[in-house]
Amino acid sequence: MSTSDAIVLTGVSKSFRKSTIRREHTTLKSELVRWLKRQKRPEAPTSIIPALRNVSLSVPRGKTFGLVGRNGSGKSTLLKLVTGIYAPTRGTVEVHGRISALLELGAGFHPDFSGRENIYVNGIILGMSRREIRARLEEIIEFSELGDFIDEPVRTYSSGMYARLAFAVATHVDPEILLIDEILSVGDEHFARKSAAKMEEFRKAGRTILLVTHDLVTLQRRCDQAAWLDAGEVKVSGSPVDVVAAYRAAVAEAELAAMEQHVPRAPVPVQPRSGPPAEPGRRWGSFEAELSGVEIHGRDGPQHVFSADAPFRLLAGYRRYGPVEGPQLELSLRTDGGTLVWSTTERLPESEAATLTLEMPRLGLGDGNYLVDLSLGNANGALYDVHRGLHGFAVRAQDSSGLLAPVHTWSIDPKAD
Amino acid sequence: MIRNLRELWQYRALLWNLTQRELKARYRGSALGFLWTFVNPLLLMAVYGLVFGVIQRNNIPHYTYFVFVGLLPWLWFSSSVGSGASTISDRRDLLTKVRFPAQVLPTTVVATNLVNYLLSLPLMVGLGGLVGIWPDVHALAFPVVLLVQLVFTLGVTFVISALNVRFRDLQHIVANVLTLWFFVTPVLYIPNAVPEPYRRLYLISNPMAVIITSYQGIFYEHRWPHPRALVIVALGSVVLLAIAAQVFERRREEFAELV
Repeated sequence: MSTSDAIVLTGVSKSFRKSTIRREHTTLKSELVRWLKRQKRPEAPTSIIPALRNVSLSVPRGKTFGLVGRNGSGKSTLLKLVTGIYAPTRGTVEVHGRISALLELGAGFHPDFSGRENIYVNGIILGMSRREIRARLEEIIEFSELGDFIDEPVRTYSSGMYARLAFAVATHVDPEILLIDEILSVGDEHFARKSAAKMEEFRKAGRTILLVTHDLVTLQRRCDQAAWLDAGEVKVSGSPVDVVAAYRAAVAEAELAAMEQHVPRAPVPVQPRSGPPAEPGRRWGSFEAELSGVEIHGRDGPQHVFSADAPFRLLAGYRRYGPVEGPQLELSLRTDGGTLVWSTTERLPESEAATLTLEMPRLGLGDGNYLVDLSLGNANGALYDVHRGLHGFAVRAQDSSGLLAPVHTWSIDPKAD
Repeated sequence: MIRNLRELWQYRALLWNLTQRELKARYRGSALGFLWTFVNPLLLMAVYGLVFGVIQRNNIPHYTYFVFVGLLPWLWFSSSVGSGASTISDRRDLLTKVRFPAQVLPTTVVATNLVNYLLSLPLMVGLGGLVGIWPDVHALAFPVVLLVQLVFTLGVTFVISALNVRFRDLQHIVANVLTLWFFVTPVLYIPNAVPEPYRRLYLISNPMAVIITSYQGIFYEHRWPHPRALVIVALGSVVLLAIAAQVFERRREEFAELV
């Protein structure tokens, strides 16, 4: 046991019985019958749903630890295990220090009671003593910015007010370990910033924070360490930058895979006559017509790194091998993260072959990596030759960021006093 | 059981706060407010007084007062067990979101109804005064009987609230059993009305009978509770509470998953 760690999970697994999840309650009768027959409770292996599998994690004291993962990956179950709401099926959970969990705002709020009265019950539930609450009451009320509403019944509050009050209580508990389940985005912009500042204060005070979030920016900005949970297992654990990168890559891949399922694909044996071979997700089509020799050029020839102001040229050869109807070429430009930047469709001639050139006198894109996807087909949905993720280039622009680098000029006139 | 009670003690502020809130919430927004606490037992007393004191005339003197003495502690018990049954299964909001000892919930129900009982005692004493029966030295035994009933009620409520999480039928069964239990408990009649051969069995098998007759002894007949019977019930209640705490402890892990 290391005392420098605030939370240590060792080989933790948690399973739920399916009946629990489907809320099929055992009835008194069935239980009695079972007891009379002296049978063991039937437990088919299929009725067990694992929520966490052999998870080992340690959160060092004084650090902020972020957890990411898709919905249903076991993040909340993990928090509940640390809190002690659930007991682990296997493994051990050690917690060193007074813990406060913000799993849901406003635990125990009673609608008929005033905000002030609810501060007491909620505070006690979260682990404060009456004396502590009394000492911090004014501070809590001030933080919530409820003003005179504090003495009105909670049921008259707007959802924003409700959340503000709850968050105000929760952040004044002053625990050694704080567990947070994505509730930072509470209320309006102003309050969200205030909440973030409060979190920062916790961090500076050397408190340990375990944070579950979907917001990767928050994760990178606020966490010292992070882990990515997927299907109940720790996929990657380490620095937030690495975890976010791995998570992003996996999400992009999953989205691409989901997209492909909707793309009618030619049977694999059909291969193009030229260029890279057909490969699911990268090149496919009926290949009745093909694109070949796709090249990206700068001013003087093939080029892969551009500045924002540079000229850009895309070259491709087109040839049809049978009768094709109304061929057209769709060109899409997207970032390596998958964001579509621009898409255009151009009709092609009925001739057997053609040389295609796309000219952009000035590229006008911001710093980043880009992919050019080409799709040769027709308006009726036929796909002859699709190139996805095969052609790419990069833009390096030091003085700006974002997707676009439009033509612009600054005029700055210094004024004499 | 010790651990169970120690946790309760640690969370006494929460217990107190929830109890307070329960009491306030019950009558908040109603015109009569807290007076409703008295209306319900008074009305019951009036009905039973009319039916068994006037229509089905019996020979118990000051019958309405007699009924009231037994009715108040019975209501404490039956309301606690009745609403205690679903107290855990209804608090999904708390159990799945924060960690706290679940035994606070059934205890809150028992405590709330205890406060209700204690608050209606002055009314009972006043009613006794009207017919000339004031509490005397025998009232010294009252705290003892109160404690025995507290332990017994806690025991029953703990078990039922814990089991009801898995067996939801229980709360409906309990509601009906309580109605029957009321009539086999000497609130409306004196135990002597039970035929002699069964009287002993009747008192042994029903702890509430011993407890209620003890109250009636103190406030109505001015005699001490039957010591041996009370000691047996007291010991039995402690054992019950110990078992209840055990059952509670073993079921506790499944609460958060089942509610």
